[in-house]
Amino acid sequence: MSVEQLNNLTDSNIQGLVPILDWDKDEYSFAILDYFEQNLRKSQRLLFVIDEQMELLTTEGAILSQHARPDTRFVTEFQEGPVKEALTDLSPLRALITVASGTMRNGKLTLIDNEGKTHARAGLRELMPISGKAVVLIAPQGLRGYDQALDDLTAHIRTSGGTSLTAGNLYRMIDHACVNYVAKPTVDIRQEETAFDTATNLIDSYLPIVRVNEYGIIHDLDTEFLHDYRIALRKIRSVLSLFKGVYDIDQTHQLKMRFSALMTPTGPLRDLDVYLLEQESFYSLVPYTMHSGLDAMFSLMRSRRTDEQARLATYLKTSRYKKEIKALTKLFSKKRKLKPGPNSSRTSYDFACELIWKRYRKICRLAATINVATPDQEIHQLRIECKKLRYLMEFFSPVFPQEPFDSLLKSLKRLQDSLGLFNDCVVQQINLQAFVDDLSDEQHKLEITQSIGSLITILYQHQSAEREKITDAFGRFSSSRMQRSFRTLFRSREEF
Amino acid sequence: MQIIACYSNKGGVGKTATAVNLAYAFATSGRRTLLCDLDPQGASGFYFRVKPSKKLTEARFFEDVEHFTKSIRGSDYDNLDILPANMSFRDFDVFLSKMKDARSRLKKALKAVKSDYDIVLLDCPPNISILSENVFRAADAVVTPVIPTTLSQRTFEQLLEFFREHDLLMEKIHAFFSMVQGTKSLHGEMIVELTHNYPKRIMAAKIPFASEIERMGMLRAPVLATAPNSPAGKAYQALFDELLERIAP
Repeated sequence: MSVEQLNNLTDSNIQGLVPILDWDKDEYSFAILDYFEQNLRKSQRLLFVIDEQMELLTTEGAILSQHARPDTRFVTEFQEGPVKEALTDLSPLRALITVASGTMRNGKLTLIDNEGKTHARAGLRELMPISGKAVVLIAPQGLRGYDQALDDLTAHIRTSGGTSLTAGNLYRMIDHACVNYVAKPTVDIRQEETAFDTATNLIDSYLPIVRVNEYGIIHDLDTEFLHDYRIALRKIRSVLSLFKGVYDIDQTHQLKMRFSALMTPTGPLRDLDVYLLEQESFYSLVPYTMHSGLDAMFSLMRSRRTDEQARLATYLKTSRYKKEIKALTKLFSKKRKLKPGPNSSRTSYDFACELIWKRYRKICRLAATINVATPDQEIHQLRIECKKLRYLMEFFSPVFPQEPFDSLLKSLKRLQDSLGLFNDCVVQQINLQAFVDDLSDEQHKLEITQSIGSLITILYQHQSAEREKITDAFGRFSSSRMQRSFRTLFRSREEF
Repeated sequence: MQIIACYSNKGGVGKTATAVNLAYAFATSGRRTLLCDLDPQGASGFYFRVKPSKKLTEARFFEDVEHFTKSIRGSDYDNLDILPANMSFRDFDVFLSKMKDARSRLKKALKAVKSDYDIVLLDCPPNISILSENVFRAADAVVTPVIPTTLSQRTFEQLLEFFREHDLLMEKIHAFFSMVQGTKSLHGEMIVELTHNYPKRIMAAKIPFASEIERMGMLRAPVLATAPNSPAGKAYQALFDELLERIAP
């Protein structure tokens, strides 16, 4: 509750008992940590750091605590302990960021009778955040044999405006605006709305996600900020390229170029992030004797990453970038300057059926030609098609009946997983080769080259193994049963 | 769970003050402690500001587990609960004497709270009776304050005699000198004599005759809570430390 509510609560007697408020003199620093997407809040957990102690309020209401290592931002860096153990479900890639921080003090609220005997008490914690409103946390504690007093106190806290301690309630009390971010917005699409509106709403929903991730990229909080930033841009670009004829052809072309220009400077950093995140698996692929070469390679990558990160951060801070992203945001939120194309007034349902059906047919045609001898390039092409189909289906999911739609999407995801593994092997071989070719007179050049050589060999073997699986997976995805399902859901009614 | 009785067959020897301070010391050492006030005058409860229990009559104490546990009250200190006394406890003995297997009734009653507490301290009324015998049988230790005077020596020896006659374990008795006045030569002589006669039964810690202990009635809190660094506070701490050593399993 608020400080004012606490003062009101202690203003008068509670069922004949006198409330006594007592604050400690000591003040501590506190921080409330959560992921950027507030996974802790969403799973009804709350993580405090008070001086050097970490406290986790679990979904079940238990309080776990352990020592907090200074400057640890990732759960994986935590010292072993009950808090770390209770957070293993969280992504190891995301950093914990501060939702609120400031000073706090502890206190006690005691209810005493006319002989000075305590009947109930409550532990108090006043949080005074640097920005946002001060909040008092109250933990009522009963004394054995005084159940009535505890009930009275709890009821009194409720009627005075106290709410149960959840991260959601607390975040909102400190700052109402801090609970709004979602990485995957659900854009409500109605069957009869126009394709123009659907495309515009989608882009308008993804642009804020681009914007909101800039801060984390600039301050290098974790690698997921850039990842989400790129996904949001990629989705926007897919809308532009997949929703053919929704906007004027020239304008579509212009927009594609502009969004592509935003994406380009993010590539090198993301590539390095991917390698560095995969470090461990690379080490496990090659024999121990090759590890020193990998050490040198990753150390080189880390230093390149530092440069790339600085470069991207500088770019995101330029007025040129800011102006451009603001202009694009305005374009899609105001809509006035968007020029409709030939398909703009079609209903989104019809449009979706046609796009998805065509894309699926195309995949089936290509899949029919796949065999063990198919060049990598063709498999890559199929992967791109599948990705496009996936985006289309995800964009339009609100206009289709959920159950059959989700099951088709699931089969598609399975196929993509297989393709993804294959493609990673191919791309990594190419990139690693390029990395070697790029090495000028770096130290350890020979060692790095040897290690990469053996990595490429292993990756090639993996690639060959994946290829067989892909042929099977495509077989399933273009089976006549699957074709029937796709036809039922996406083939226009008049053809039946 | 260990049961410790604070007992003296003579009144006014600082028994309740001992029970209150020992209970507090056990609780602050992290042990979950229950102080049972078996003295109908209800002084232990008074020191902790707990009002006497109206509902807990003798029948309920020994028969009705639910009422017994419901009458327990949390003190203002962590880990320390109180079972307040009631004037009807004065008829305990009459009641117990009518009951079958009277001598182990207390132990059975205390079993109800076995898992809630590490230590149960019994503040006993000053007489030798069926209740006392119950206390001696139930307790793991009987802590006995002795004022170093001739009269106290007599009652202490009566207690030892009672233990012998009833075949009770003498090792349970942990006596100590209470209300000791350093200026009185008689006190000094009695201490030497009794310690010499009963070296195993008498502890080294001595509680002085001190104003802090008398003030407990006014402050209504243990000396160890209000004046831990006073001579009396230090003496109670020393008594606790020594007792802990002697009863450690």
